[in-house]
Amino acid sequence: MRLLSQEATQPALASSPLFNRRDLIRAALFASASAALGPAFSFGQAVDSGLTAAARGEDGAAFLKDPNWKLAFLNDQQNETLIALGEVIIPATDSPGAKDALVNRYLDLLVSAQPTEFQQQFVDALSFMDSASQDQFAKDFRALSLEDQISLLTPWAYARKPSHWGGEHPDKAEPAQEHFERLKALIAAAYYGSEIGQKELGWGESSDHDLYNDCGTSATPAKPIHITPHKLTHK
Amino acid sequence: MPQDVLLDTYDAIVVGSGATGGWAAKRLSEAGLKVALVEAGRAVTPSEFTEHMPAYKLKYRNHSPEVLRTRPIQRQCYACMEYNYEWFVNDLENPYSTPADRPFTWQRLRVLGGRSLVWGRQSYRLSDVDFKAASRDGYDVDWPFAYKDLAPFYDIVERYVGISGAAENNEMLPDGQFLPPMKMTCGEITLRDSVKKKFGRTVTMGRTAILTQPHNGRAACHACGPCERGCRTFSYFSSPFTTVKDALATGNCTLITDAIVSHVDMEPGSNKARGVTFVNRTTKETKQVRAKAVILCAQAMESSRILLNSSTTEYANGLANSSGMLGHYLMDHAVGGGASGTFEDLKTLPNANPPHRPNGIYLVRFRNTPATGKHPHFIRGYGMQGGSTPEFDMGAQGIGAEYKKAVKLGTYGVSLGAFGESLAKFDNFCEIDPNLKDAWGIPALRISMAHGKNEADMMRDAGGTAAEMLEAAGAKNIRVTTGVEMPGMAIHEVGTARMGADPKKSVLNPYCQSHDISNLVVADGSGFVSSACQNPTLTMMAICVRASDHLIERFKRNEV
Repeated sequence: MRLLSQEATQPALASSPLFNRRDLIRAALFASASAALGPAFSFGQAVDSGLTAAARGEDGAAFLKDPNWKLAFLNDQQNETLIALGEVIIPATDSPGAKDALVNRYLDLLVSAQPTEFQQQFVDALSFMDSASQDQFAKDFRALSLEDQISLLTPWAYARKPSHWGGEHPDKAEPAQEHFERLKALIAAAYYGSEIGQKELGWGESSDHDLYNDCGTSATPAKPIHITPHKLTHK
Repeated sequence: MPQDVLLDTYDAIVVGSGATGGWAAKRLSEAGLKVALVEAGRAVTPSEFTEHMPAYKLKYRNHSPEVLRTRPIQRQCYACMEYNYEWFVNDLENPYSTPADRPFTWQRLRVLGGRSLVWGRQSYRLSDVDFKAASRDGYDVDWPFAYKDLAPFYDIVERYVGISGAAENNEMLPDGQFLPPMKMTCGEITLRDSVKKKFGRTVTMGRTAILTQPHNGRAACHACGPCERGCRTFSYFSSPFTTVKDALATGNCTLITDAIVSHVDMEPGSNKARGVTFVNRTTKETKQVRAKAVILCAQAMESSRILLNSSTTEYANGLANSSGMLGHYLMDHAVGGGASGTFEDLKTLPNANPPHRPNGIYLVRFRNTPATGKHPHFIRGYGMQGGSTPEFDMGAQGIGAEYKKAVKLGTYGVSLGAFGESLAKFDNFCEIDPNLKDAWGIPALRISMAHGKNEADMMRDAGGTAAEMLEAAGAKNIRVTTGVEMPGMAIHEVGTARMGADPKKSVLNPYCQSHDISNLVVADGSGFVSSACQNPTLTMMAICVRASDHLIERFKRNEV
């Protein structure tokens, strides 16, 4: 089709019950931002490229290793607590742990983009780690010895039967338990979703394989890992 | 492409380039007719496929706030991801409304190929138990044709598309033209054998539109896994790289992208369609294209929306709607009943590496069959889809090295989930919302649908039977779900322009031709009379080929 005009007039959504005025303003801002993205797009695509960052081949993980990386949401103390907690739950063993996988940096970004309720739960859980640590050891969690950190977390880590399906538990959890499990689930998702974590699970670079073998022969498939933090918060 | 493709008069306009539109364009242009294929979205190229990109290269690892903001409805579909969300409609630009107590989730793509880019690929024939269901249980009406009338067109579609699957000789699920089936896991074989032995029910390998051997110039599946992000070997069926490609290769088909059809235009003073009006997606200019026949393949509710937006003095309540049935009898499979568990005796470890088989198993309908007789609580039935594979156990207890080890040991999961027939009801419908327009000024839909008691009873039964079968197969930690999810969740919406022999009670004749307007055809899922319980796309394609061939015959006889 011939494109006669590139006036990116933002669509009128006036009477939709699904969307409010703030959405309209955001939509307008996004339209002008994408139009300004420049030479990566052809002229005809500039109004709405129709391509995700992934489809454009961008490495979205690059920010993690940026020398000028800065916290987006957490403060320094929360960040250090998160790093310490991550390394106790998923330490470096014969494979790298949560700290090497930059779990804190990914979670800082993830939480920065979540609804306020999610953010509050996350921050409250980190604060709880310090208050529990102060009660028992008169120190913040990040200042404890590894031995004391393990001793603090162990009762929560084995409190209940593990759940394999849907995160449902038969009994209502204690608040302490909930704080710990919320952080553990997010740290695990961030670790096993990272390049380091994927390699820990055996992932390799190749994408081409013979089609799937039968029962009784060598290869058995696994489903791709898919973890949804939203669901982990609603027990 | 000529300088102005809109000045030509075509033999036929096909609106929509998905699973059915691609077939209509291919069939008609290969028969020598001049076709304009009109697509609301942009073209798609293999360079934007992301099936081999690991999730850690996504900035938000599939939790992008941009998806949340622009696709709050579309993201309810498992296939709408940070990888590919731009293929799905922007909900901010494409609104629809529902009554507050009748929510409906409407998943749509507007790009060349439409939902065939991301579909689930499960491909099952309907049987005469479905086509003649009303004659058996007295509910509603039979389809206006029988299995034997559609069988040759199933053959045509399957031979071209390439469906891998196993023949089962089961009257509920007719066999087809299959490529070799994919393989089952140990857990699936355990379940299949137990279900057959203890319940006499059939579990078969999923019949899927994915190649297990080279076929019609396309390569066999390389088992990387996520088909919904594209396939650079074109091993699953999507229209842009098969039917649409063939249509364009004839030289008889002109593709017009970014053209959002708002309504069908009628020839003044006659009872014939003369073309369509569309709005250019990027410039918002309004244009017309003319043809001797118009074929809508825009998706069930989108095609009905076009007709409802095409009212004239003669057809005040929507074009081709003298019956008053247009928009009504909307259906979408009931989902929500099922069960999951673990096989503790199976010790295979999970592995993050492919092969990832993009397919599962299928349990053939066993309720209200000629063999099992009438169920006391509900009519019709459900099939089940599921699978059994080892999975990493992120929920393992513990911390430290012990936790890392437990995650890798994993659990061997098994699950079954039902897809149940959604009864055709006049009161499940879509209509034009007088107060709502899309970003191009085209009046939008108000969708009003709810599943009823029959669907609820069916899903409750499905939860119980699924759990019973898993338990009998030796599964532990069984969890059951028995609710019915909101309509739209199955993404199997059909109906709204039903076929029938009686022009007073149906919109389309048995060849998908409007009863009212002889050169207007609706050849997508709109014409379905009942939903049956099988995934509908294969049947939509077969019906579309049958309708297209009928139209070609009418062209040959100079009847159009």
